[in-house]
Amino acid sequence: MLGKLALAGIKNRRRDYLVLLAGLTMSAAIFYMFANLATNRAFLKTNAVVSQASLIFGFGAILLILITIVYIMYANSFLLSMRQHDYGLFMMLGATRKRIGELVFLETLILGAIATAIGIVLGLLLSQFLVGFLLDMLGLHLAHLSAFYLPAIIATAVLYVGLFILASLFNMVRLTRTTVLKLLHTDEQANQPRVHLFRQMVAAVLGVAFLGIGYWALAAIKTLQMAAIPLALVTITIGTYLLFRATLLVIIQGLRHTKWAKRHLNGFLLGQLNFRVYNYTRMLTIVSLLFAMALGAITVGSGYHRQLPLMANSIGTYTVAIHDKNAQEQKLIDQLNVKHQATYTQKRQGKVVYYNAAELQQQPFELSKSGQLTKSLKHPKFYTESLAKFKKSGVQDFDFQSLAVRKDMGFYTPKILNAKQFAKQPGTTMTVTTVRVKDLVQDQKVLKRLNRMEVKRFALPEQITVGNYQSYEMMSGIFGGLEFMGYFLGIAFLAMLASCLMFKILSGAPGDKQRYRMLYKVGVRQSLMRRGIAKEIGILFLIPGIMGVIDVLFGLQMFKPIMASPMSPYLGIGSIFAIFIGLYAIYYAITLTLYWRIVLPKAPTN
Amino acid sequence: MTTNTVVNVHNLEKTYGKANERQYKALKGLDFTVAAGEFVGIMGASGSGKTTLLNMLSTLDVPTKGDVVVNGHDVTKMRGNQLADFRAQEVGFIFQDFNLLESLTAEENIGLPLALKGTSSRVMDQAIHEVAETLSIADLLQKYPSELSGGQKQRVAAARAIVHHPSILMGDEPTGALDSTSARELLDLLTTINQKQHMSVLLVTHDPFSASFCQRILFIKDGQIGSEIKRGEQDRSAFYQQILNELGTFNE
Ligand SMILES: Nc1ncnc2c1ncn2[C@@H]1O[C@H](COP(=O)(O)OP(=O)(O)OP(=O)(O)O)[C@@H](O)[C@H]1O
Ligand SMILES: [Mg+2]
Repeated sequence: MLGKLALAGIKNRRRDYLVLLAGLTMSAAIFYMFANLATNRAFLKTNAVVSQASLIFGFGAILLILITIVYIMYANSFLLSMRQHDYGLFMMLGATRKRIGELVFLETLILGAIATAIGIVLGLLLSQFLVGFLLDMLGLHLAHLSAFYLPAIIATAVLYVGLFILASLFNMVRLTRTTVLKLLHTDEQANQPRVHLFRQMVAAVLGVAFLGIGYWALAAIKTLQMAAIPLALVTITIGTYLLFRATLLVIIQGLRHTKWAKRHLNGFLLGQLNFRVYNYTRMLTIVSLLFAMALGAITVGSGYHRQLPLMANSIGTYTVAIHDKNAQEQKLIDQLNVKHQATYTQKRQGKVVYYNAAELQQQPFELSKSGQLTKSLKHPKFYTESLAKFKKSGVQDFDFQSLAVRKDMGFYTPKILNAKQFAKQPGTTMTVTTVRVKDLVQDQKVLKRLNRMEVKRFALPEQITVGNYQSYEMMSGIFGGLEFMGYFLGIAFLAMLASCLMFKILSGAPGDKQRYRMLYKVGVRQSLMRRGIAKEIGILFLIPGIMGVIDVLFGLQMFKPIMASPMSPYLGIGSIFAIFIGLYAIYYAITLTLYWRIVLPKAPTN
Repeated sequence: MTTNTVVNVHNLEKTYGKANERQYKALKGLDFTVAAGEFVGIMGASGSGKTTLLNMLSTLDVPTKGDVVVNGHDVTKMRGNQLADFRAQEVGFIFQDFNLLESLTAEENIGLPLALKGTSSRVMDQAIHEVAETLSIADLLQKYPSELSGGQKQRVAAARAIVHHPSILMGDEPTGALDSTSARELLDLLTTINQKQHMSVLLVTHDPFSASFCQRILFIKDGQIGSEIKRGEQDRSAFYQQILNELGTFNE
C-alpha cells in the first residue's frame, strides 16, 4: 500500500524526476568516457605521445571523482526536497519509520542504479561519436580508442552504485531522524540571517587576505614550486568563502533599505536572495572554484596547442636534418622556402662521429642565441662562429650533437678533424643536410613527407628524427592531448557544476512555490513574477561565474613560467570564455525554465 | 446597479471538473449586492460554497456562468494582467493562513501592494506607518513573520490588505487560526476600518460570534443564498442571538 502511494507521488512529479535522472545519467556518461580514456591501456600504449599525458589524466580523474561526489550530494538533496513532504505525511498517517526508511532507501538506490546503467550505455555511444569528433576537431588521430572497455565500465558502475548506496543511507537516516512536523513544513522555513557588522568586517578582511596569499602563491610558482598549488587551493577556497559571506549579505541588507528596494518585486527579490545566498555560500564557493578549474583546464590546454606555431621556428637551429638525401628528398627540399641549408659529411666509428673541418669552414654550422630564451623565441637570432671558436664550444651544442643519434638514443661524440685526417679516418660515411625554412607552419605539408621518409630510411627504435619539425610534431601531439583533456574536463566540470547549482536551486523550488502562490493572490502580474525569478536565479548563477572568472584570470599566472613569451596563458582567452559562458548560459536557461514551471502559479481556466 | 454598489453578483454559477470528468456544481445561480461601506458576512455549512464564492469575487478562480461586477469592473471579462492588477488594486484579502511572505519583514510585507503600484517610497513609508498606527503594530514592523504570534501575523496581514485603500476587503475565515482574544481584536479592527475608512468588508465565517460584527449576513445553502438577516439597530449580543436562531432553523 505504502509502496503504491510512494509510486503515485513519483508519478505526479515525473518531469522533475526525469530532469534528475537525465542529470545523473549525463554525469555517469561523462565519467565513463573519461574513465575509458584514462584507463584504456591499449589506447594509451599505442599513443606514445598521449601516454605522457596519462599523469594528467590521473589527476583529471581525481578531480572528476571529487566533483562527482559533490554533484551526487546536490542531486540527492533535490530528490529529498521533492519527497520529504510526502514521507512526512505518510509518517503522520502512521507509517512506521522503519518502513519509510526502507522505501526511501529503495527509491534512491533504484533511481541511482537506473541512472548508472543508462549513463554507461550513453557513455559508450558518446565515446564512439563525441570523442572522435573532439579529436578530429583538434586534428589528432589516436589509434586503438575503442568505445567499449570493460574496466572503465566496472569503475563507473562501482563508483556510482557505491555513491548511491551512501546517498540512500544518508536519506534513510535523514528522514527517519527528523520530526514529522519539520518534514511537513520545511518548505515554509526561510531563515533570515542577521548581519553583525564587526564580524562581517573581520571576515571580509580575512577573506581578502587569504585570496591575496592564494593569488600570490600562484604568481610566485617559480620560487614556491609545487607547494604553490595546494597552498593556493586552500587559501583561495577559504578566502572566497569568507568574502562571499561577508560582502554579499552586507550588500543585500544595504540594498534593502534603499528606495530601489521599494519598487515592484525588488524587495521580495532581496528577501529571497538574503536567505538564499546565506544558505548557498558554501555551494557558491565550490561552484566558483570548479568553474575556475574547468575554465583553467580549457584555457591552458588550448592555449598551448594554439600557440605552439608561435615558437615552432625557434626550438632549434634547423627545421629538418636529412641523412644521405636522395633525389626524391632533394626534390622535396627544393619545394621548401629555404632560409639556410648546409650539408656535412659524417664518419661514424665507435661512439664518435667525425666531421671535416674544411666543410665546417666553408659552411659554418648555425647557432642560435639561446641564452636569453624569452626574447629570442619570436624572432630568433641565428649566427655563426669562427671554426676555432666552434671547435671549442660549438661541438657541445645540442643541435649539432643531434645530427648523429645512436641506436641507444644517446649521441655520438662529435670530433672535428682537418681535411687530411678526416680523409684517413675510417668509419661509416654518410652525409647530413640541415635545412632551415622561413616558416615551418607554412611548409608543414612538405616537411611532413620529408620527415616520414627520413623515419623510414633511418628507423631508430623510437622512430626519432631531429629538427624543429620533429619537435613541433611531437609537442603538438602532447599539447593536442592536453587541449583535448582541457576541453573534455572543462566541459565535464562545467556540465556537472552547473547542474549542481541547478539542483541546489531547484531544491528550493517547493518552498518558493508557496511564496509565488501568495504573490499571485496579492495580485502580482505573471510577467513580473517571471522577471523576478529570472533575476533571482540569474544572480545565483552570476556570483560564482564572476568569482570563477576572476579566479582563472589570476590562476593562469601559474602557467606563465611554463608558457614563455611569445606564448602567454592569457592569449586568445576571449573565445574560450565565450564558449564557456555560452554553455553556462544554457544551464541558466534550463534551470529557469524548470523553475518557472514548478513555481509559477497557473491562472485558473474554465 | 447604482453607483454606491461595490459588489454586484448576478446569476453566478460554478461547476468544478471538466466536461468529460465527474462534475460538481458548487454554486447554482447566486444573486446579491454589497453596498459601499457595508460590512457583510457570509455563512453556511462546510462545503456550501463560501470559499468558492470568495474566489470568484477576488478573481482567484473564474465562474462558469454569470456576472461579477466589483467597483464597476466586470471581473468575468478580464484576462491575465488585468486580473492581477485588479487584485492588486481593488481587493484587499485576509486569509486564514495569513499568507505572509516569510522572507520579508512585516514592513516589507505591508508595503508590497504599494510597491506593485510603483508608489514612491516616501508615500509608501507614510502609508505603512499610518496603518501600523491604526492596527497598533508599529513596534512589530522590523520583525519577520516567524517572529510574530498568530494574532500579530493576522494584524500585519490586515494592514497589508488595506494599505492601498482597496474598494473592498475580503476575509475567508480570518479568525479561523486565532484564539478568542486575538479573534476579537481583529474583528474590532475590521469594524474600525469599516467605519473610519468606509471600506466595504466581506467576511466569510462559520463562527456566529464573528458574524455578529457584521451589518448583514447572507446564508448560503447548497450553492444558493438561503436566507439573509440584518443587524439594523440591535446591539451585537442581540444580533448574535438572532444569528444563532437563524442557524438553528437554517440547518434543519
Ligand atoms: N477545486 C475543486 N474541485 C472540485 N470540487 C471543489 C473544488 N473546490 C471546492 N470544491 C467543492 O465545492 C464545494 C464548495 O467548496 P467550498 O470550498 O467553497 O466550501 P466552503 O463553504 O468554503 O466550506 P468550508 O466552510 O469547509 O471552508 C465543496 O463540496 C467542495 O467539495
Ligand atoms: Mg472555505
